[in-house]
Amino acid sequence: MRSFSLIFKQFSRSVLLIACFAFVGTYAYAQGDAVKGEALFKAKCTACHKLDQQVVGPALGKLITDETDDKFLTKWIQNNQALIAAKNPKAVTVFNQFNQANMTVFADLTDGDVANILTYVRTEWKKMSATPAPGTGPAVVVDKGPSKIIILSLLGVIVLAFIVILVLNRVITTLERLLAKNNVTILEEEAVAGESVDRLAFLKKLAKNKKFVFFVLLCGTIFLGVYTFIGLWTTNLHQGYQPVQPIKFPHDLHAGAMKIDCQYCHSGAYKSKNATIPSLNVCMNCHKVISSAFGSKTASVEIHKIYDALGFDPATQKYDTTKAHPVQWIRIHNLPDLAYFNHSQHVKVGKIKCQTCHGPVQEMKEVYQYSPLTMKWCIQCHKRTNVDFKDNAYYANLQQVHDLLKDGKQVTASLMGGIECGKCHY
Amino acid sequence: MLAMNKSKILGITVIAIVATVIISSCKDKRSTGWEYAPNMYEHIAYDPDQKNDNFKDGKTAQLPPAGTTPLGFVRFDYPNTKDGYEKAGLEVKTTLPQTQANYADGKLLFEHFCSPCHGVTGQGDGLVVAHGYPPPPSYSKGNSSRGGAMKDLTDGKIYHTITYGLNAMGSYASQLEPKERWKVIMYVHHLQTL
Repeated sequence: MRSFSLIFKQFSRSVLLIACFAFVGTYAYAQGDAVKGEALFKAKCTACHKLDQQVVGPALGKLITDETDDKFLTKWIQNNQALIAAKNPKAVTVFNQFNQANMTVFADLTDGDVANILTYVRTEWKKMSATPAPGTGPAVVVDKGPSKIIILSLLGVIVLAFIVILVLNRVITTLERLLAKNNVTILEEEAVAGESVDRLAFLKKLAKNKKFVFFVLLCGTIFLGVYTFIGLWTTNLHQGYQPVQPIKFPHDLHAGAMKIDCQYCHSGAYKSKNATIPSLNVCMNCHKVISSAFGSKTASVEIHKIYDALGFDPATQKYDTTKAHPVQWIRIHNLPDLAYFNHSQHVKVGKIKCQTCHGPVQEMKEVYQYSPLTMKWCIQCHKRTNVDFKDNAYYANLQQVHDLLKDGKQVTASLMGGIECGKCHY
Repeated sequence: MLAMNKSKILGITVIAIVATVIISSCKDKRSTGWEYAPNMYEHIAYDPDQKNDNFKDGKTAQLPPAGTTPLGFVRFDYPNTKDGYEKAGLEVKTTLPQTQANYADGKLLFEHFCSPCHGVTGQGDGLVVAHGYPPPPSYSKGNSSRGGAMKDLTDGKIYHTITYGLNAMGSYASQLEPKERWKVIMYVHHLQTL
């Protein structure tokens, strides 16, 4: 009996397996076009289009599903510019509807290729609209949902705990009353009073012990001394300062994982005194397209802070400058006015890497001040660093003066920068 | 009594040392700490990126008044339209000396500003693209969305695109000054031949 059931089990399993494969096979066959279309779509279209959201071009899912004239679509995709030039009425209306933006000509796509793409877009859009997908920008809304529930449940727990405490209190008071009736409390109170008298006496004894008093004073002096010394030593020293910024910009992602050079955003570092905090248009170079990252909710919220600050609507890709307001970043590296520092001098002339002073920023999730930026720190580096004269235009003048002196010739003040405006008019 | 005192004294010593270590080591990373003469740190003069109540929008950095051109600013009077693009393609030519130094500068600038998307060899395979950003066309093999092959793009057309941006690419006018754009274009012309 038992062996029969085993055989049956095995048999049924293999049948199920075969059925599964067969089903998957037919499914894959039916979707054959769409699979090819997906590859083509990803290679040719995703540079400008998404299915559910306007990026550079319009959102395609609904558009292509609603448009049933496949012949027109094929012609448009293969060469939209020829259609517009031939004044095809439908093509012209579409062209005008989307701000007369040109679409790339894809003459290399055959009719079959386009059909595959269309099938892919339609089936994918059907799937997307069937499932309540986390579409264009609900991340912000979703974020608020669970927190409210948590807060409410927490409140409930607190109220419950409060009620329990009240009930217990009642029980304790009634018990105490019972005890009072039995005259137990009086005895206990006496014992407590006796103990407190004992303690005070002990402290008084200690206060009279000269050795002990001296020791306490000594400890106090050492403690205060160390505290004062450290306090004075770290005054005006901002090393390790890590303020909370209005937008949680992760340097470890941008400069670390994506390896975007520091200069991309801090483009002033090579050519001016300041390294410059990038204006939001630099963020929008990429974030016009990237409104969320890796499906992370916090990333989406932080990116939407950029949009809010610019008055940008990601759904329509349009700016409303009346809603714009500046992002107030908090300055971390701050030299006092008594010191002059020039970034380009160090980065361009001195060829120093950013990380030498700013530390491993490409690993920092939240930026902090890595170096002390004290005078001692500056001087130490200036004493130890050799100047690289080779192919360094900044020192060409110095080299020239040096060569003149070596040849035994005279050097005028003007050659030493003596007629620079700033030498007199500062 | 003496033995008891000894243990107490030892205990207090330990407490004092621990307290000193704790107080000296704990530093609030969200605060700049004590500052002497803070007016040297928070100066009266306005920094360009600082708040400023003297202006309506509260910013120190203001745009130049309408209709003015700042000293040393190189104008580019071709509008951000297809016609402007075509016209720039015909009329605008580089005036930059085609030297090895400029080429090297252009290569460095390209690597810093363009290669995250366009890739080091200009094939549209940068690291940001590898993480899912829409890929730009290859300089040597791709087609431009404004017609024609990428490898046939002229000086003026590339300059127009860098200045205004196109499709998923933003404007680089604020990051690259005109001279730097020409250096980048010098290097892009090299990549077009790859």
